[in-house]
Amino acid sequence: MSNGEHQNTVTLTVDGVDVTVPEGTRVIEAAERVGVVVPRYCYHPGIPTRPAQCRMCLVEVEGRPKLEPSCTLQAEDGMVVLTASKTAEDARQAVIEFLLVNHPLDCPICDAAGQCMLQDFAYVTNQLESRMDEPKQIMGRDRISDDILYFADRCIICTRCVRFMRDVAHDDALIVAERGHKSYIDTFPGRELNNPFQGNIVDVCPVGALVHEDFVFKARAWDMDATASVCPGCSTGCNVTIDTKENQIVRMKPRHNSKVNSYWMCDYGRKHLVMTNRGVRAEVPMIRDGDKLRATDWETAISWVARQMEIVGHETGSAVISPQMSNEDLSLLWSLLNWLQIEKVEFQVSSGETASLPSVPKLKLRADRAPNAFGLELFGAERVQHLSSETPESPLVVMGDLLQDAPEKFGMGASFFLYLGTRLPEAARNAHAILPVVTFAEMDGTFTNFEGRVQRFHQALNPPGIARPGWMVLSRILAELGTGDVISDVRSAFDHLVKNEQAFEGLSWDGIGLKGAPVRGGHEEVKNLVPS
Amino acid sequence: MPGEVKVVSRPKGEASYARAAAKGMRITLKHLLNPAKKTQQYPDEKWELSPRVRGTHRMAVHEDGRAKCVGCGLCPTVCPVNCIKLVPAEDENGERYAAIYEIDEFRCIFCGYCQEVCPVEAIHLGVHYENAEYSRERWVYDLERLCEQEHDVTALWDPSDPASQ
Repeated sequence: MSNGEHQNTVTLTVDGVDVTVPEGTRVIEAAERVGVVVPRYCYHPGIPTRPAQCRMCLVEVEGRPKLEPSCTLQAEDGMVVLTASKTAEDARQAVIEFLLVNHPLDCPICDAAGQCMLQDFAYVTNQLESRMDEPKQIMGRDRISDDILYFADRCIICTRCVRFMRDVAHDDALIVAERGHKSYIDTFPGRELNNPFQGNIVDVCPVGALVHEDFVFKARAWDMDATASVCPGCSTGCNVTIDTKENQIVRMKPRHNSKVNSYWMCDYGRKHLVMTNRGVRAEVPMIRDGDKLRATDWETAISWVARQMEIVGHETGSAVISPQMSNEDLSLLWSLLNWLQIEKVEFQVSSGETASLPSVPKLKLRADRAPNAFGLELFGAERVQHLSSETPESPLVVMGDLLQDAPEKFGMGASFFLYLGTRLPEAARNAHAILPVVTFAEMDGTFTNFEGRVQRFHQALNPPGIARPGWMVLSRILAELGTGDVISDVRSAFDHLVKNEQAFEGLSWDGIGLKGAPVRGGHEEVKNLVPS
Repeated sequence: MPGEVKVVSRPKGEASYARAAAKGMRITLKHLLNPAKKTQQYPDEKWELSPRVRGTHRMAVHEDGRAKCVGCGLCPTVCPVNCIKLVPAEDENGERYAAIYEIDEFRCIFCGYCQEVCPVEAIHLGVHYENAEYSRERWVYDLERLCEQEHDVTALWDPSDPASQ
């Protein structure tokens, strides 16, 4: 793995395959490079400490008398590692047998079933029957924080959760209480588990011992569909996987991205996203008919909006945009605003308390509670504290959900008030046309995070009613006005973005992949582009 | 050649109905003499069913009347025709149970996979086939109705010879 840096490498053989890795790499990681997954419980790539206590990753090294735990063993030049030799497999089988002595085998009602490492490796080691005659000990369950349940019987004391709290979150709230077969995970006496990143202990748990209370008994692993996405909770843009079932978000898990969130995400993000299931949504386009809004179909609505805009003409107006909108939405919207010659574009970001994870400097719950404020700044929108309440008699475009707290008469005086949103707040009733758009979970697109990293998210849910992605709706209005083509796939929308906004130059939908890419070469350069 | 009809002459023995009529009468007489081969007086007289007949479902219950189902979701997963609807929930003791459990008997193909897969031996098929309803909705059996069924449950295999040897 030569990456141009002056780093010594070593070459070892894992199961007969040569692999060259940087010096200091553990054997378990070297084995992964040649596609060999050594069974493991206590080892987690995101947790720095490796106590080698589960004894599951034992491998045979030629020339050494005993088996070695591959998670702590450093790769050396000329080392010959056998991960699947008879001795190693016997040792693993013995470990599994011990782990299953008191494991309740309640897989049918366990929320981890199907995604459980104990299940996986028990199958691999073919441990079908127990030789234990004694009854299993029953420990019951406990609540170790206000939203996490601990099923002590299922626990295999890998201590991943304890070490995540101690070594990653730098919070000594969790301990292993008691010793031997009586051990269990508990909070330190007198301490409470109350950390903004504590939800990650559920993700690191290799079995079903730690479960979120709002997920318990909700869905089986095989019932859920997983979609790669980006958390919209704050401007960090943590990479996540959205698990959906029956068109509802049931769970969120962090997705590894070493450039952003490593293996983790905050609790605010988890809860925030699951909340997006709720609320009454805008489902059909509505256009003004006298003093009423009338529901209609897309074709009528779009040609009506285009006609109204032609009547209003190129009049200087204003626009208010939500920082929840994707880059593609913004790109198409700016084309429309340019047509209308609107230059005053405002956006408002709700802010909240910040929280940080000490060992991952970039991962923070940031004060800006929106995913694309930076994208809006790139486009040249102006950040305001409060939306201006009086509207001059000129065109007004509102995109996104930011009218919840707007005064009742918001936009009353506008000569043409176009509202594109996912919900129907009171103030939207003053609009001349309401075009229902979808949330980030219901479409494909990209967000630009706090440091200018463009990251893709994918459609996880079906949109309500006949709501459509904002970029699709806007491109149809533009086509109706005769200034563009109809765009109906996200790649073309992204191409539109790249073509029209210089900061995004050189990016491509396939090129940014699932891990994202920085705009215009990175953070520093971007800062210069943004008029502050 | 238009207008020509081909006339086939069959042998007398085949063309006559006498032979077939005699054959039919022979069967009638045989059944008349054999009491085992008579029309069954169905609603009054019923078939004796094998214990392995797979019919209407039945849910096993605990002594206190609760369904034995733990809501694990294996039966809706294994069901080849998706006729089982299950929504699990947590009861006041923190145990998993089926908040909604419905089987559409109309859609069911009575394969018996649900009984086979059940980890707590709660859902069974039954030795019962007489289902008639005035509406399709009535064919969707909810948990209460499944628990109320009283017919024998199906033996999917012979207990003395589980591997069918």
